[in-house]
This record gives sequence, structure tokens and C-alpha cells, in this order.
Amino acid sequence: MNPNLESVISAFAGSAALTSLFIILALIGTLNPYHRPAIPMLGASTVILASTYLFAQTGSIPADSVALRLTMSEGVLALLDIFPLVFLVCTFMFLQASLRKRPEDPLLALLESEPGSE
Amino acid sequence: MSLWAAQVWLGMAIAVIGISMHRTGPAFRRHPFGAPVALLGLAVMLFRVEEPPQPESEVVAAAIDAAMWLLPALIGSALVLMGAPLYWRTRLLPLLAGWALIVVAWCQYYSTMSVVLSDTLRWVTALLGVVLAFTVFALCVRTAERMTPQEPETEGLSEKERKYVESVLRRHLEVADEP
Repeated sequence: MNPNLESVISAFAGSAALTSLFIILALIGTLNPYHRPAIPMLGASTVILASTYLFAQTGSIPADSVALRLTMSEGVLALLDIFPLVFLVCTFMFLQASLRKRPEDPLLALLESEPGSE
Repeated sequence: MSLWAAQVWLGMAIAVIGISMHRTGPAFRRHPFGAPVALLGLAVMLFRVEEPPQPESEVVAAAIDAAMWLLPALIGSALVLMGAPLYWRTRLLPLLAGWALIVVAWCQYYSTMSVVLSDTLRWVTALLGVVLAFTVFALCVRTAERMTPQEPETEGLSEKERKYVESVLRRHLEVADEP
């Protein structure tokens, strides 16, 4: 397979798998009695398995735990690649936030307008 | 999988769980274990006795390289958010220090980056992968919510509860309560 195409497919599969892994870990980290994490976890696990299969097919390697590790590693590298783009967007948002004036708080205005409030 | 390879993934998992824990709770009182758990995860991932095997060694090396600009970027972003007039009035010192760190981060990134045209396609597909993962997650959440039986409508707040909520809002929006 064309190495460029292989690199592009592995970046896609890796970032999808790693993001799904982060979603599963975030669900674990925020577990509470009102959570219903079963279906989202199932969906995220499916994305991880499908991405690993795609990665294995692209690299002509067996879809086993080594392929899973390679997919996740590719995901880390792909996400590190797009962090500068995210940071660029964030820098513009920080610039807007730094230059703006603090707005009047709508919650406090709401409290003042409530009947019976002092 | 070797012990050192497992240590890298375990450390990353603990760090992500810690960051997620930190995001729970109200903004003025985050989960007390979030930050320590995240730092523990980073320590487990980065401090080791032996070099991890491939591909984990590449992951750790790339993470350490990226940390050279990511660390000032993260600290700078936090300082800018503290100094900008988002929740409080402008605080000049954190704001300027934050912007200085953001400039340092961009300089650091610019000095080490080596972007070629084929990278652009890789970025786009990596973004598509992230979008796919979040789309599947959103659809799954929607399905889970649709399958949840509806609860009866909650009754309105009592006068005592209303006063309590009002006092919490006033305290945390920096408005002194009347005596």
C-alpha cells in the first residue's frame, strides 16, 4: 500500500481508538449513581475494536494485542500532531477573553428581578 | 506485553481518569483527588527503571518532546484564564505572565516544528477520527437516555431551598449577602 495512504489511515484509526479509550476512562473517572455508562462504553469499545481491525488490515498484521498497542501509539502521535491546531484556536479565544469587558451577570440580574427578593 | 509497556499505558489511563475526576463537582470545589491522581498517572507513565519496548518508547519520547512546548502552553493558558475578566475583574499579573508563557510556547513549537504538506492530510484524518469517536459516543448517550424511563416532574423549590440557592449564587458570584 502507498505509505502516505497507510499513514493517513493509521492516523484516522489511531485517533478514533485513542479518543474512544479516553471516553471510557472519563466515564470511569466520573462514575456516579446517576450514570448509565453501559451503552456509551459498548459504543466506544466497538470503535476501538473496529479501528484496531482497520489498522491491522492496513499494515497487514494480525488483529491482536500488538495491533491494539500500535493503534493506540499511532493515536497518541496523531493527537500530538493536532494539538498545535487546537492550541492555535485556543490562543485566539484567549485573546478575545483577555480583551473583552466582564459582562453583567444575568443570574444576579435574575435574582434581583425575582418577586420577594431584597 | 512487557511490564514497562504496561506501565506506560497504565500511567496514561490513571492520568486521564485523574483529569476526568478533577472536572467533576462545582467549579469552586473540584474533586479533591483529581489533581493528585492525574499527577500520579504522569509519574507512572514517565518515570521508569527500564526503557519501554516499541511502540511505547516512541510514545514516551514524543510526549516528552511535546512537553517542551505543551507545558508552557498549559500553564500559560491557566494563568490567562485566571487573569482574564471571565469570572472576576481583570488581574493584570497572571494575565501578562500567562501571555508571556503562551508566546514562549509558540516560540518553542516554532523552533522544533517540521511540517511538510503530507502532514496536513494526516491532521485532517486524525481530526476525522476524533469526530467519529465523539459522534458514536453522542449517539450512544442519546440511545441510553431514550431508554431511561421518564421520572415524574420535580416539584418546585421550597422557600427555604430557594433562599439557600440564592445565597450560594450570591457567595460564588462575589456579591456580599445582606445581613
